[in-house]
Amino acid sequence: MKIRDKLLLAFGFYIFLAVVLSFFAYKEMQAITTRITIVEAANDINNKFLDVRRYEKNFLLFRDKDSLQELKKNLEAFKENFDEIGAEIVREMGFDNYRMIKGAIDEYEYLADRINERGSIDKMRSRARDIQLFAENLSKKERENINALLVRSKVLLLFAMFIILTAGGVINMKLAVSIARPIRDLEEITKRVAGGDLSGRIEVRGRDELSSLGVSFNQMQDRLQDTMKSLELAIKRLHEKQEQLVEAEKLASLGRIAAGVAHEINNPLAIVNEKAGLMQDIIEMSGDFQNKERFLSLIHGIAGSVNRCRVITHRLLGFARKMDITVETMDLNESIKEVKGFLEKEFLLKSIRLELNLMDGLPKINSDKGQLEQVFLNIMKNAIDAVEGGGLIVISTAAKDENTVQVSIRDSGPGIPKDKLKQIFEPFFTTKGREKGTGLGLFVSYGIMKKLDGGIIVESEVNKGTTFIVEIPVRFRV
Amino acid sequence: MNKTKVLVVDDGVEFASTLAERLQLRGYDATAVYCAEDTFAAVKSEPPDVILLDLKMPGMSGIEILMTVRTFAPDIYVILLTGHMDIEKEIEGIRLDNFDYIMKPVDIKELTVKIDKAAEKRKLGRE
Repeated sequence: MKIRDKLLLAFGFYIFLAVVLSFFAYKEMQAITTRITIVEAANDINNKFLDVRRYEKNFLLFRDKDSLQELKKNLEAFKENFDEIGAEIVREMGFDNYRMIKGAIDEYEYLADRINERGSIDKMRSRARDIQLFAENLSKKERENINALLVRSKVLLLFAMFIILTAGGVINMKLAVSIARPIRDLEEITKRVAGGDLSGRIEVRGRDELSSLGVSFNQMQDRLQDTMKSLELAIKRLHEKQEQLVEAEKLASLGRIAAGVAHEINNPLAIVNEKAGLMQDIIEMSGDFQNKERFLSLIHGIAGSVNRCRVITHRLLGFARKMDITVETMDLNESIKEVKGFLEKEFLLKSIRLELNLMDGLPKINSDKGQLEQVFLNIMKNAIDAVEGGGLIVISTAAKDENTVQVSIRDSGPGIPKDKLKQIFEPFFTTKGREKGTGLGLFVSYGIMKKLDGGIIVESEVNKGTTFIVEIPVRFRV
Repeated sequence: MNKTKVLVVDDGVEFASTLAERLQLRGYDATAVYCAEDTFAAVKSEPPDVILLDLKMPGMSGIEILMTVRTFAPDIYVILLTGHMDIEKEIEGIRLDNFDYIMKPVDIKELTVKIDKAAEKRKLGRE
């Protein structure tokens, strides 16, 4: 029910109560007024008859005509009064008594006309006593009646007041609660919302304005909560994206620095290479001399180190080098098999189990075959180094969506701890020790995938293994 | 049989002279020059069979020298020396005949194989 209707109903109820009570009060007043008239009439009758008796006494004392005449006049007035409230007297004293007293009055009158006859006066006086007693009784009765009526009215008034107070109190209470409770709920929940807690909902009762406000409020809450959720998600994604961007930018800067250093080092390195080479040439062409072999072995050491440096500088320069991509249509599955064939010996040597889950009907892609194979080789070599003998490497290909294919290379190695995971694409980061790796494989692979518009994702769990996922666009666009 | 004439062009004197000497030790008629003008003069006076040309030169780049040399000696074989592998990008749009490249620091065996191949090709071209 609507609040307006509730208020109107309550108001209507009070009006109705007032009308009913007024009606009864009016009726009561009327009854009281009637009673008062009757009491007055009864008193009049009593008084008139007292007058009659007074003249009767006078006549007895003085035997005069005047007294008799006054007696008759007052008797007439008495009769008139008596007849006026005859009906009331019948009701109050009973018809028999009425008839009897009426007879007594008539007899009194009859005797008064014959007052000079013998024995009349005694009979008159006897009748008069009866009538007087009756009149007194009537008057007394009427007074009692009106008293009873007044007591009843008083009780009724108190009762009505009690009813009004009780019913009114209950109704007002209900009304107040039904209006105030939803408002209080709303206030409470609004406070919680203001505090940032969006989980609260208003319990919807009934169908008034506050209920529909509650429904709207709940809908608002739902939408707000949804919005907050998607906002949080968006922020989270943004953070991830930002982190990736920062990571990518960091790697790109590192790449530029590394390439710059490599470039600067490369020229002197070339000179060292030539000088050492020339020394070697000269010594080899000379006849035997003291320490010849020793010099040659020293130069061999220099050449070895130069060679190692060359590998590093060339790979670093490779990371920074611009687009030199040869796009061709290629079958990824075939490439995987080729690279696998290249590493066959190492798989055998370490007795590593290799599983290939190559997707049938994988779309052919347009990309740089040589560079992609370089990436696969780098990751597979890492996987081989990661798993100990008897480990497992699983290589799968799949179509991620219509524009992207994936190659995932999973190993059962020791996994990469979380704090290291961020660094694995950085140049010179290696877990293998100086002898085994330059720490450039993943760095270079990352660079290649960036250039090919793809990417490398790594997932790793310590003691469970590591998965590298290479994402490649189906169609490479320059 | 005539010695293969090789002209080493690199602004790095130490590098160029040493490389030339090593080639001489291996039986090539190798000379080193260190700037663009000397290159053009050398090519004009005594055209070599093969030019080893550094890609990065001050003033005139290796590519520009290569283009200029090609204008008056179109059939000279050129092997570019480069510090990085940007070469495909740099030579885009250039005629790729009689052309090869090798990365610095060079492996002398690899280089002599390339020079011999170039000389062979040039000899065949003449006949």
